[in-house]
Amino acid sequence: MTTIISIAGILALAVLFVGVLRAAGWSDFAGSATAPQQRPVLGGGDPQTHAWQRFHVRYYTMTLLFVAFEMEMMFMYPWAVVYVAEGGKALAEMGMFLAILSVGILYGWREGIFRWE
Amino acid sequence: MSWISRLAARAPVPVFIAQGESAPDALARLALNPAIHVVDSPRAACILLISGRIPSALADCLNRLHDQLPHPRATVLWQSHAMEPFSNAVEVDASDDIANALSATFADLLAGDRPSEADILPDAPPNEWRGIGPHGQGGKGMMGGTPYGRPMAKTDDDIRDGLSLDAYTADFGPFLPMFPAGLALTLTLQGDMIQAVTVAHPPFEGDTAARERLLRLLGLSALALRSLHGQKGDGTFRRLVRLSRARAAIPADLGRLPDGSDVRSRFDAMVTGLQTAPASDTDMTLGDLLVGLEWHEALLVINSLDNATLRGVCARMDAPPDSTNDATHADHDMHAEHMG
Amino acid sequence: MIVVLAILGLFAFLIASIWAAATLDAVCRGWIAGGGTVSPAFTPLRTAALWLSQQRLTTEAPDRLNALLSIAGYFALGLVGLALVPIGPDTTLIALPTSVVAWGACESLVVVVVFLHGWSPNAPLALIGAYRYVAIGLPIMLLSMFVLIAAALPAQSLDLRDIVTSQSSVWNVIRQPLGLPLFILLGLSLTLRGPFDYADSADLAGGTSVEASGPDRLGWQIARLVMLTGFSAVAASVFLGGYLGPVLPGPLWLAIKTLAIMTVVIGLSHLLARMPVARMMGLIWIGLLPLSFLDLILAGVLAL
Repeated sequence: MTTIISIAGILALAVLFVGVLRAAGWSDFAGSATAPQQRPVLGGGDPQTHAWQRFHVRYYTMTLLFVAFEMEMMFMYPWAVVYVAEGGKALAEMGMFLAILSVGILYGWREGIFRWE
Repeated sequence: MSWISRLAARAPVPVFIAQGESAPDALARLALNPAIHVVDSPRAACILLISGRIPSALADCLNRLHDQLPHPRATVLWQSHAMEPFSNAVEVDASDDIANALSATFADLLAGDRPSEADILPDAPPNEWRGIGPHGQGGKGMMGGTPYGRPMAKTDDDIRDGLSLDAYTADFGPFLPMFPAGLALTLTLQGDMIQAVTVAHPPFEGDTAARERLLRLLGLSALALRSLHGQKGDGTFRRLVRLSRARAAIPADLGRLPDGSDVRSRFDAMVTGLQTAPASDTDMTLGDLLVGLEWHEALLVINSLDNATLRGVCARMDAPPDSTNDATHADHDMHAEHMG
Repeated sequence: MIVVLAILGLFAFLIASIWAAATLDAVCRGWIAGGGTVSPAFTPLRTAALWLSQQRLTTEAPDRLNALLSIAGYFALGLVGLALVPIGPDTTLIALPTSVVAWGACESLVVVVVFLHGWSPNAPLALIGAYRYVAIGLPIMLLSMFVLIAAALPAQSLDLRDIVTSQSSVWNVIRQPLGLPLFILLGLSLTLRGPFDYADSADLAGGTSVEASGPDRLGWQIARLVMLTGFSAVAASVFLGGYLGPVLPGPLWLAIKTLAIMTVVIGLSHLLARMPVARMMGLIWIGLLPLSFLDLILAGVLAL
């Protein structure tokens, strides 16, 4: 019960926080931005195009390896709880798992997936 | 005047600096004053400090910059010349104390004794676009809309992996805190990597703040402040720089010049305070140095060059882009019409 | 009754620690800059008042909803971290048997909110900061999960309450010496500081917050400090024994340890240089991740 109240309280507090910031009616200078105020900051320069674009994400190969590790994490959570009870067997199993993933990192490194392509 | 304004009036004065030609030497040391907060973005400033002579070629840029400050705002001209749109600005000459002038202007501004400055540019989007097209999006077709007069970025081949994604072109500078004063570049970016560069305006002569900017680029803003004290043989400064692993943070071989120096060796020379001779005259252009670099690396390269070398590199124009660019754009337009 | 007291106490602690972090930051900066500072304790309050008085600017075609969500989300995630931390035996606001997993979820959502903060203004410098942060925010998370799981091994539980109890004889910082340094690197990344500030950095004139003005700037900076508080409290509980300690009451011990971690994070953020992002991404995968494997294996051998 406390948990639910706490989570609800945190969410309410966060909403209240941005609500107060948005309201900030204490300023004499509040007012919507004019067209020249809205231009993106480029130190005096002006863009030719919108910033929304098909952005070239140069680490996309790295994110694939990341997904492999995130999946591994799902196995590690229950493993951590039973580890002491299971003993050396659990250590050997996870050691093998990590060794295989480490080979994956080395292979990825050789293939250059950590470069800014 | 509410209690909140009274509290705000005692904050360090947030100043954005627009540096012109032959600005006073004391400008760099302004950041050392605890009553002044030199900010990175005009969005965080209350006062636009124009220092030195602004060439008429950059007047439009200055007007655009001025209008990007939030209200309340004011302009202070420090050893600058009178300019048409800034007739209401506070003028400070060499004999006045700049920190006092900034604090007084800031206090007046928050107390309401000094009206916040109005926009210089007209309150209209750069282009008429509202109401044009079936959804009022400013054009025809899926990619044909030009909200605010700005079309979407267009497809171009990437120079590293050859993928066809969007190339983004914009003028950066001349009043960016991480650029040498006066430098304005037209950059074409794919993601955060530089595809093409042309010099829109060269840096001013006599810039000496490269070491401070380089330290700030390495995330060491407090050490950058320390470097401004300018004491020869500040052992603590050098020890802290060594402790920060700044040297190892700079990639090897970055921005190598024909004389054999790279960013790392030039950084070493700056930190130890050695006066190195300006790099031998090279026939490299800025494009040779920057194209293919990631944003952070490119800025490290620009700021590692001494003023004379950078001016020399900027003075040599890159060859104009060949006609293949036009071909891809025409292709793209056809594609857009097809989708529409 | 205890719950109400706990909520009020945590709230008071939160406000005090936000103020303390801002003050520490100013002092640390002044000390390294060699110029000293003038009334560092009041400057944060005055600057906050100034940001509240300034006009809130928007950009051309901004993503208004996500701009708000990013600030509210960052703030809430830091608070969740703080609420997960036990302030006494069996006293915690969010009492989950899997609180380590919940904290891991908070870490990954930070990547999302920081990205949204850079995405929403529709401006080039902010967008570069947003995308670049993801390249570091993802792999640094793996690091933290390995060291957290290592800390869960001796406790045989994913509950922060059990992890604290398991340190009654010896703290994890001694038992697993690699854990805390690696976890602090995550803290630098979660709070966008120093060597891991790939989102709000100087080479982008402020990165994701380059366009933020007035109250929005205040909101983002406060949210960063809330996250710093939440992170420090979690680190203090996982590695420094949380509320455990002699003589003084438990919550006070927790507060002291949290402030100690906070001081280390703030100090490091001013002292360590930031490398270009591609180099850091390689360093995390090739250098730091194997170190976290080693931490896990050592903890495993020791726990048997």
